[in-house]
Order: sequence, then structure tokens, then C-alpha cells
Amino acid sequence: MVLLQLDPFLNELTSMFEQSTEKGTVWVTLKRSSLKSKVQRNKMATAGEPVEYRCLIRATNGKKTISTSVGAKDHQRFQASYTTILKAHMTALKKRERKDKKKAAGADKKEGSKKP
Amino acid sequence: MVYITSWDEFVERSAQLFRADPDSTRYVMKYRHCDGKLVLKVTDDKECLKFKTDQAQDAKKMEKLNNIFFTLMSRGPDGKEQTEAQSGKKGRGRKQ
Repeated sequence: MVLLQLDPFLNELTSMFEQSTEKGTVWVTLKRSSLKSKVQRNKMATAGEPVEYRCLIRATNGKKTISTSVGAKDHQRFQASYTTILKAHMTALKKRERKDKKKAAGADKKEGSKKP
Repeated sequence: MVYITSWDEFVERSAQLFRADPDSTRYVMKYRHCDGKLVLKVTDDKECLKFKTDQAQDAKKMEKLNNIFFTLMSRGPDGKEQTEAQSGKKGRGRKQ
């Protein structure tokens, strides 16, 4: 499990998407975590310090896993970049056509069959 | 698997799950370009909600959901800002 900084993580994520175009999956997991052990957290809580929460983001293509941790300060920037990456790569999804273009249900395409 | 058909229901129940137990709730997204499928899962290890789609319009809705989760997770479930937002631009020192 590779823990990266924000920007390298985004770069790696992009290349993961690119690599799995023909075959494969990209998994992205989001979870809140303060990245401290329970003991430390309890200590911080009793000491009256606010526990700092970060968002843990993991990505894998089945073979390689990368991760990064985003805090409140970086989250907007990360969000923007993340959205851009997703939009750029999720092109395989179908676009819904409200109007079904019914060009004569039994449209005969001229196959150009040569009739002897 | 617990697949939810309505997007709005999925969003609402996910948010509820998260607010109920922010430390153990996680949001997973799986995308397969070759199949053109997207699956979202939100679970707190007790209950699991899933949503699958192959529609581009759902990808847009998912982006909004991503934003919600990012905010909830990095800021704490109450929506309190952990760090004080620095409002106001840093003065560049206009020379008058």
C-alpha cells in the first residue's frame, strides 16, 4: 500500500484509469480517518484537543494500491481535480436518449444484395 | 446484494449511515471502462447500500455525492470546520 502526497496520487490515479481502459477495474474508496490509533485518539479527546479528521482515499486497479490522506484544507482542491479526472475518464457510460429515434421500426437497410 | 434503484434514496440513506457512524462508514466506487459500468457502495460494515449504473447522467450525480462525502469526511460529521477558514485575501500591499 503506497501512501502518496496529493498530487502524485492524482497522477497515479489518472494513469490507472488510462491503463484499465481495455480491461480491468478501478476501485476508489473514501473513508474518514484521523490516522491515529485509538489510544492516541482517546488521549487527545481527554486532553481537550480537537481530533483532526482526514479523509482517506484509496485507489486500486486490482494489482496496485495507492492512497492519500486529505484534510479539510486540501479537500476542495482535491475534489476539483478528482472530479476532473473522473469526468475525463468515465466516457464509457451510456448517454440516455430521451427520444428514441424511431426511424421506421423496420427500417430496411439496403444491403445492396445483388440479385441474380 | 442491496441494490437501490432510486438515486435520491441512495443518497439519503448513505448520508444517514454516515451520520450515524462516521468512523466506520466508507464509500466505495468501482468503475469498469470495458463494461461501461459504475457501481457505488456505502457501508458501515453492518448495513450495505449499493447503486449500479451505466448511464452518464448518473456519473454527474455521483460527482455531487462525492462532494458531499468529501466535505462530511474531512470536516467532521457535524459540518464544523476543523481549520478556521482564512477569509480575506492576503494584502498584496497596494502602494498608494
